[in-house]
Amino acid sequence: MLDTLLSGQLLFAAAVLGALYALIGLGLNLVYGTMRLLNIAHGDFLMLGAYGAFWWFTLTGISPLIALPLIAAGGAGIGLALYALVFRKQLATGLAPAVIEARSLLLFFGVSVVIQNVTALLFSATPRAYRHLDTVYQIGQTAMTGNRIASLLVALAILGGVLVFLNRTLFGLEIKALIQHREAARIVGINVSRVQIVAIALGFGSAAIAGGLLSMTEQVTPFMGFRFTIAAFVVIIMGGLGNILGGIVAGFLLAVIEIYAVTLFSAEARSILIYGAFVAILLISPQGLLGRARR
Amino acid sequence: MTDPSPAHAAAQDLGVQALHAGYGEIKVLQGIDLVARKASITAVVGANGAGKTTLMQVLAGLITPSSGTISLSGTAIQAQPTHRRVAQGVVLVPEGRKIFPDLSVRENLLLGAVTARARPHRDETMEQVCTMFPRLAERIGQLGGTLSGGEQQMLALGRGLMAQPSVLLLDEPTLGLAPGIARQIFRIVPRLRDMGITILIAEQDLHRTLRIADYAYVLENGLVAAEGTGEALEQDPAVRRAYLGRD
Repeated sequence: MLDTLLSGQLLFAAAVLGALYALIGLGLNLVYGTMRLLNIAHGDFLMLGAYGAFWWFTLTGISPLIALPLIAAGGAGIGLALYALVFRKQLATGLAPAVIEARSLLLFFGVSVVIQNVTALLFSATPRAYRHLDTVYQIGQTAMTGNRIASLLVALAILGGVLVFLNRTLFGLEIKALIQHREAARIVGINVSRVQIVAIALGFGSAAIAGGLLSMTEQVTPFMGFRFTIAAFVVIIMGGLGNILGGIVAGFLLAVIEIYAVTLFSAEARSILIYGAFVAILLISPQGLLGRARR
Repeated sequence: MTDPSPAHAAAQDLGVQALHAGYGEIKVLQGIDLVARKASITAVVGANGAGKTTLMQVLAGLITPSSGTISLSGTAIQAQPTHRRVAQGVVLVPEGRKIFPDLSVRENLLLGAVTARARPHRDETMEQVCTMFPRLAERIGQLGGTLSGGEQQMLALGRGLMAQPSVLLLDEPTLGLAPGIARQIFRIVPRLRDMGITILIAEQDLHRTLRIADYAYVLENGLVAAEGTGEALEQDPAVRRAYLGRD
């Protein structure tokens, strides 16, 4: 039993999944934190990224890892278009956060339905997959495929990069300030809409990248996003809404729970344990593991 | 901040004409006219609910006025968003401090200097602010939310100074503070004026405020009920009425 728990295989699987969860949680958190938009289409942007990677590889034969900047730009572009067409006006009128949250929930629900069905129309609902970097590397007792290693490294690099950006640059400080106290951010002279545009680009771009990475190891379908939308919400609520670092920690925690639940019990235990842990954390600490960003 | 830095040297005046503003159906300001002259202290006094904070928020661009003009040395700025006003030196130190609770004192101060106007002077201004408020220097690495009320007020003031203000809007800077700290704030404000900053201060502490003010306006029900030099207003019965009539 203890051998199973400490096996490198499980830890590696949890790390790969955790880095992806942390990445999608990060994107959702940036968009929520800076704008109070509850993006329940977040997983659908992941799905678009996965299709982008699938078609890129199928049509060009070049590694989707090369295309990640392009995939990120596509996700960011769609996010910015949504912002320009739908949300900019809403945000500019100075509505209360609760109103923005409620409206964005409905709007993004619509966006989600549209994206899923347009994708199904264009590419059919047939699951797609491709083989790329699937050589198995054996390190000690642990077998790892190249695509999972690549996925882990890329996700960690992006997480690290965003953390450095947030903690070491003035613009990153402006993002944190806006997440923490919207009115104070305006008072000190932060150009709020500029920060929001960057947050949208980062948030949607990172979701698309997560999809691109995931497509190397999982089947791509128009409806694959929902599971990740839920995971992203569990992650950011567990980590504390708007709390970037808390979200990253929660992403890895959720992956550990999920991987170990499936291994120790059964596939059915997965959702029971995920939501069980989620509810338990909320009961014990309603502000999330590391506290919620204020206002 | 012993000698005025170049940005302060270009002092500006702030004028308000026929300003109306409110929240939805509720009209708070019903036609305000006032001038804050260059490098002077102009006080706005009045009872709770007279419209002082609304006026300050409209001047800072946090609330859009329904009509009227706001001019900075002759240029209309009422249509500009807050960050554009801060970039020109119109800086609010808000009621209730509104510091960033989960950022360090240092980060709070750095955020005061986000505009292109202030960034080049950031390090020297930080030093001057720390000289002016040694308590902030001692707590530079602490989170803003862990400071006492008085320290948070100093942080809010220091953050405002980081922006290289030409017009400083002080909204209730002594509200809820211990008397010793309130006195300290009242000592600092005239020094800021002497550095060339135009100051508009909204306060409840009538006597102390009128004593340091070069000119003052009494607000009553969203209108200017009386105006004059600080000394003249202290003798004015209308001032007493504005205070005692509502509270």
